[in-house]
Amino acid sequence: MIGNLTGESFLIALSGIVIVFLMLAVLCLLIPVISRIVQFFEARGAKPTAAEPQTPPAPAPTVLAGTAFAGEVTLIDVDEKTAACIMAIVSHETGIPLSELIFKTIRAL
Amino acid sequence: MEFSFIGTLQKILAESGFAAFADDPRNLIMILVACVLLYLGIVKKFEPLLLVPIAFGVLMANFPLTGILNPPDANGNVGLFWVFYQGVQYAVYPSIIFLGIGAMTDFGPLIARPSSMLLGAAAQFGIFSAFLLALALGFPENVAAAIGVIGGADGPTAILTASKLAAAYLPPIAIAAYSYMALIPLIQPPLMRALTTKKEREVKMEQLRPVSKTEKIVFPIVVAIFVILLLPETAPLIGMLMLGNLFKECGVVDRLSDTAQNAMINIVTVFLGLSVGCKATAATFLTWDTIKIIILGLLAFMLSTVGGLLFGKVMYRLSGGKINPLIGSAGVSAVPMAARVSQVEGQKANPANFLLMHAMGPNVAGVIGSAIAAGFMIKVFGG
Repeated sequence: MIGNLTGESFLIALSGIVIVFLMLAVLCLLIPVISRIVQFFEARGAKPTAAEPQTPPAPAPTVLAGTAFAGEVTLIDVDEKTAACIMAIVSHETGIPLSELIFKTIRAL
Repeated sequence: MEFSFIGTLQKILAESGFAAFADDPRNLIMILVACVLLYLGIVKKFEPLLLVPIAFGVLMANFPLTGILNPPDANGNVGLFWVFYQGVQYAVYPSIIFLGIGAMTDFGPLIARPSSMLLGAAAQFGIFSAFLLALALGFPENVAAAIGVIGGADGPTAILTASKLAAAYLPPIAIAAYSYMALIPLIQPPLMRALTTKKEREVKMEQLRPVSKTEKIVFPIVVAIFVILLLPETAPLIGMLMLGNLFKECGVVDRLSDTAQNAMINIVTVFLGLSVGCKATAATFLTWDTIKIIILGLLAFMLSTVGGLLFGKVMYRLSGGKINPLIGSAGVSAVPMAARVSQVEGQKANPANFLLMHAMGPNVAGVIGSAIAAGFMIKVFGG
């Protein structure tokens, strides 16, 4: 025995780290399940009905799928690197985190 | 009545705090310690929002004869700081701080890559190894548990655990926790470079998927239900953290979210800092135990970083080289400082590397992980 260190102390420490791992591992498994359920209901809610008119397709844009922000942004005559810079600048200047900004289109003028 | 100017002056001096220093000169040393802490907070900017009020609390607590720490007496008189301290005693301030942290935290990166949770768990290694080291140095179990929680790199959690398990050791534990959090950019990088190869540090990670608003709203509710039901001792911290996050994400209580992340957290920070500082009196602070706690706190931080990095390396292997192990060190919960360090180190290895959002996942998982670890310690040693 060193100081107050006993065999039981090691058992407590081991149990502690195992419990932390187990709880976070269960959350790790739970999150994708919840995400799937949410995405399923969101997709059902977003499905267009038969009566709704079809929107015409966009003129061959580049679609940049979500980076740190949510959704997709349509790039017209703009490369991805420039678009990323523009989005970062807007976020910085407005003080709004990138994850809370939604860009729909970035077009070269 | 015969009035004498000189006599009155002598009486004032004899009954002043200056004269009382002769009774216990250690108070002078504590005032010096307070001035050093003020210097570190103001000039060196070590977590100034907390260190400045803590240091001023130390200063106030060590002025003799003020009675500022006195509990209520028979006449109903009570010291102002004794009243403030009740917020720490009953875990009110750390919980409210967690409400604010929740309102400021974006769990999106964690939801987008749930495996980050495991990195947040691995980085709690320092808590349990520092607990063992503290026992080896002769601390009782409850105190060793409170010291270990410094390794979670989470000030409010360390304060809450210390207030429940080892109230007499609260000042050195809180000061160590906040000082080392400020020193993360100095403590972590050498370990990160020593434990990873250049090839590993250069790994560019894939972009995270977008996370919908509904997912972000459901997340805090599910975590609160699951974690608190399983480990009720975590209710004050996890409950308030998730409530704050729900304020932020639900979009219908913007005023509450704004108050929680600005005015409320600032007000409580003043009281928390003063309350912690005022317990640092000469009798409790100027001991060998304080020095041991400061050293153990540093080891706890380092071991937590090592735990996160080593698990990051495991994930690097398992993912076929897609996960940069540098994000593992962000599993210690100092948000967002630890994630920024991962970003900086990643960019040094590969200038095209943007690890910040990837490191935020383990970083916020670390907040949950350290609260769970603290809940475990309180359950086992809280009597």
